[in-house]
Amino acid sequence: MNGDREKLLDSVALYALGVLPREEAALIAAFIANDDEAMREYLDLRAAADVVAQTAEEPVDSTRSARMKERLMARVRADVAAGTTARTRPAATYAAWWWGTGLAAAAAVVFSVVTVAQDVTLRGDLATAQRRNATLATQLAQNDRVAAQDRRTLTDLLAPDAKRYDVAAGTVILRRDRLYFTFTKLPPLPRGRVYQAWTIPKGQKNPVPSVTFLPNADGVAVVALPADATRVGAVALSVEPEGGSKAPTTTPTFVRPLT
Amino acid sequence: MDPGVRLMERVRARDAAAFEALYDGYHRLVFGIGLRMLGDPASAEDLTQTVFMKIWTAPDAFRGGSFVAWVSRVARNRALDVLRSKAVHPETEIPAELPLDGALDDDVFARLDAQRVRDALATLPAEQRGLIELGFFGGVTHQELARRTDTPLGTVKTRIRNGLRRLRASLGERVSQ
Repeated sequence: MNGDREKLLDSVALYALGVLPREEAALIAAFIANDDEAMREYLDLRAAADVVAQTAEEPVDSTRSARMKERLMARVRADVAAGTTARTRPAATYAAWWWGTGLAAAAAVVFSVVTVAQDVTLRGDLATAQRRNATLATQLAQNDRVAAQDRRTLTDLLAPDAKRYDVAAGTVILRRDRLYFTFTKLPPLPRGRVYQAWTIPKGQKNPVPSVTFLPNADGVAVVALPADATRVGAVALSVEPEGGSKAPTTTPTFVRPLT
Repeated sequence: MDPGVRLMERVRARDAAAFEALYDGYHRLVFGIGLRMLGDPASAEDLTQTVFMKIWTAPDAFRGGSFVAWVSRVARNRALDVLRSKAVHPETEIPAELPLDGALDDDVFARLDAQRVRDALATLPAEQRGLIELGFFGGVTHQELARRTDTPLGTVKTRIRNGLRRLRASLGERVSQ
């Protein structure tokens, strides 16, 4: 077993606990998916990590508990009365419901809450909660977009039908029209220098500048190249001044035909 | 079987009573995770509302296995979303969603309660337990764990790996008792 493999196995526990940064998590996920021993280790440790959550369980004061429940059940009852199915109402429509067509349901919420506890205080709480909901919904929409991109990247990196090309310090991964560089041990660069990716279109010789990036302290980087992979014949990597270059100014770290 | 699994089957069929039972059974766990990770009751309440509404609107997101484990991960991931929105250096954050969900054999763990887990955690050396709890609830990376505990990164990795292995073994023993 070489050192790199042992290092990756060490990181499986970190992945199971959920403490790896995004780009490292992508690498470890790909490793687990392709290694039986890593998968066994992951399943064992992930199960242990999952139960840690149970230690957080604690009593919720009855007023708060009733308030949350009434809000939820008002929505649930409204859905059931309207015959709404789960599939026709994705979670993303929650905010729209809350502020738009759900006014009647919101009124029902107010009525229910008022009958459960003190009037004025809970009306104020509800208005505050609505404002918080609106803010949270905006944040969640943004986060959902980021998470969707992450999921696509992870899916591509893990996909059995992805093509993988070994290069210095990492792998070039091609799936459908998408291209990724994944590195596990890129050397650190002096200040003012960055790594720059290049794509070379099929049938051409001149490289087209792509993204610049820096690896993390461990030399790890996962980079999605904004190019239509079906039109790319080769990729390359070089060290360039910060901000990137229009053409390589140093000898490329690698040039890899995608054949 | 985890009672949450049976209730989720009914929630998929739009059974409001099942959803209410699900809330009654698990809202303390979801709220508790929110409180531990976000640090204030109002944020924990928002998180609880969001998680249960997600369960109602998209019940098919649960694809089997342990409901407790699943809902805990959903709650943790939502809390991470909130933490991420407040983060100074978003590029260092841990991912909100990880692949391979639902691949676990959680039958054993469905029979665990909070006290058993606390007892099992208490058997770990303090340095292992502290890292695992901070890692799970703190929403930070292993580098940040190393910095906060002033521990070399390699030691952090080893302690987490050994701690989770030991916890897994301890939980298995407790369930079989």
